Amino acid sequence: MKLAPQSVPYRALQKVSGIVVVLFFVVNNNPEWGFAVATAVAGAVVLAAVAYDVAYYRRFDYELTDDTLDISSGVISRREREIPYRRIQNVDVSRSVIQRAIGVAAVNLETAGGSSTEGSIRYVVPDEATRLQREVQRRKSAASSSETPGEATDRSGSEPGAGPGAVGPTEEELFAISPGELALVGALSFDGRLIGLLAFLSSGSVPVLSSFIPDASAVALTATAIVGVGGLFLVSWVLGAGIAFSNYYGFRLSRAGDELRYERGLFRRYSGSIPTEKVQALRIADNPAKRALGYASLSIETAGYAPGQGGERGSQAAVPIAATDRVYRLAREVESFGDPSFHRPPKRIRWRYAFRYTLAVGALVAVAFGIDWYLGAGAPWYAPAALLLAVPPAAHLKWKHRGYWLGEDHLLTRNGFWSRTVTVVPYYRIQNVIDTRTVFQRRWDVATIVADTAGSSSIGGDDAAAVDFATDEAVDLRETLRERLRVAVAERRDRRDRLDGDVEGAAEAGEPIGEAGEPTSETGEPTDDGDEPTSGAADEALSDEDDDDRSEVPDDGVIRPDFSGSGRDYSEPAERIDTGEYAVDRNPSDLGDGSESGDEDGDGEGDEERDAGNTEK
Amino acid sequence: MTTQTLHPRIQVVWVLRAVLIAAVLTAPFVGGVYLDRLPEWAPIAVGAVFLVLGVGHALLKYRRWSYEIREDALYLDRGVITQVRTTVPLVRIQHVDSRRGPVERGVGLASCVVYTAGSRGADVRIPGLTREGASDLREELKRLAIRADGEDAV
Repeated sequence: MKLAPQSVPYRALQKVSGIVVVLFFVVNNNPEWGFAVATAVAGAVVLAAVAYDVAYYRRFDYELTDDTLDISSGVISRREREIPYRRIQNVDVSRSVIQRAIGVAAVNLETAGGSSTEGSIRYVVPDEATRLQREVQRRKSAASSSETPGEATDRSGSEPGAGPGAVGPTEEELFAISPGELALVGALSFDGRLIGLLAFLSSGSVPVLSSFIPDASAVALTATAIVGVGGLFLVSWVLGAGIAFSNYYGFRLSRAGDELRYERGLFRRYSGSIPTEKVQALRIADNPAKRALGYASLSIETAGYAPGQGGERGSQAAVPIAATDRVYRLAREVESFGDPSFHRPPKRIRWRYAFRYTLAVGALVAVAFGIDWYLGAGAPWYAPAALLLAVPPAAHLKWKHRGYWLGEDHLLTRNGFWSRTVTVVPYYRIQNVIDTRTVFQRRWDVATIVADTAGSSSIGGDDAAAVDFATDEAVDLRETLRERLRVAVAERRDRRDRLDGDVEGAAEAGEPIGEAGEPTSETGEPTDDGDEPTSGAADEALSDEDDDDRSEVPDDGVIRPDFSGSGRDYSEPAERIDTGEYAVDRNPSDLGDGSESGDEDGDGEGDEERDAGNTEK
Repeated sequence: MTTQTLHPRIQVVWVLRAVLIAAVLTAPFVGGVYLDRLPEWAPIAVGAVFLVLGVGHALLKYRRWSYEIREDALYLDRGVITQVRTTVPLVRIQHVDSRRGPVERGVGLASCVVYTAGSRGADVRIPGLTREGASDLREELKRLAIRADGEDAV
């Protein structure tokens, strides 16, 4: 399928408008060339850009196949990319004001791999964007639901979007922001970035300012500073409110089948979908103001957004604000964790925080003294020492708001007083467990346990961390997490194997787990169409590779490798059955891969394919 | 598998690195002496301090470092100032590299890097292996990871 035709002039102008304006002025201001030449140059640049984008438009093609979304693009260097539906994490659609005016939308498809957005379609008409979003989801769930091969062929034959199935599951609204809540989001948002920027700028201008007011009294100086800082906070607040308002205007979160959908935005409209099975972690955040009013916010984290893209993009699917119990209800819709009751760190750790804060206050006093001494202003430099009074409560609060809780299937951690975050991590999503003890922590005999997931915002240090727990408890926690992960993985595997067994019956019962002979693992791999769960990154490479293979396959799209000794009938495409969680191949050829016996061969192939995958990237 | 320590020769690599870092950190002080801003003994003292700290750190680091492959996870225990113990469940291993940097090759060592899909501990590096040790470890982890037969959970 093609892009929207109106994307051609839009893309072209977007690309060169800045350059054209600059060029025009540069050339026009040159007395030898003048207006006519300037227009000609600008026109030539625009023409070149339009020509390029016409070529881009002509060369860009995307297609929804049975298992993959294929995008071929590129004018000078061509790229053909196939993204298996099963691997797609999020589908996001955004439309800026201009894009809305000319009726186009940008579609971004994220997978867990890679360092940037994997599938970027710029631009299609909004209806097409919505259709893509729905269709990807429908095909993904179709790929994992049980079908007979006959139906599968039927589906591949039918024109996408034509069938009644294109409507998709009904949408059930989970949350829609009310005007009151929106106002509250604005009021409670505070953009600290401006302060940072101004502080950075003004740090250079202090000497300049002090030369302006050479003999100002300390009082006047302090007053100016207070007014300045106050103004700064006010501006930051208004700015933050404005940004939050335009970001979350019309926020809506809904659930359709096994997918969450959101939309938001005043000027730039965003909408997107997140499969619930791809959720890595949930974050419930609040601050003292929100807590006092009984509100909290929720963000849903997937592995889709690449590092560095994190931050705002990663939290696109966040409920900006809602009553606390409602937030918890929403969170439980996504991950059904129970009623948490947090364990706190040992009480003695409050002394550690008190000590730390006392040191901080001491440093502050020292700095104040230094400034006072340097300026000779005679101000009461010891004033910050009054903060010492706040140290015990601060230490207590810090301790009070820390904690962790082990649920049936989830680890919950809680940290922070000013911005308190409760992180919900399913055991199944844990990637590794890290136990750190700094020098100071060792003095107090405590440790920090971090449960690392593939989620994206953890890059910013926002991990699920149980901080400052007694070493014994921490070690226990570490081992418990490892054990629960093992159990969670085993449970999933059992479920998969049981389903395999049920469907296959006794005929191939010997084959599945660990017992599979060499032939299966050898011949199995080329046929697997990237839909079976296999382990590791090799899987990504595998699916790519196999999809490539498949695209070269002639007649009926089925590879018939030369095999012997396997009972599987390769003339039929692999059947799929619904496990509720993920797709499995009815003939678990990849399980043979998991056996020790198929090791040598499996490895060789794996390596090759991994290499191939790398070079492709 | 019992707890494994690194090959002692890795200390050479780390001590060399410490010397290099000490040299870099001392350079400004040498510059200060040339500009007659600092007494002559300053760079020597500073360099010695950095050297002692760096070399001490390197030696302690070697003594602290250990790893172990247990039934279902790879354990690493390391760090002098901040002690870090990482548990990498074998089911979560994405891929395993063995690599040999120029300095490592110089002393005939190699290292093994284990990748997971995690964001913070996405790759853990086990340095100080012999060349065969690194490829053996790689093969062993690969075998165990395949046996563990996990899903990638992303």
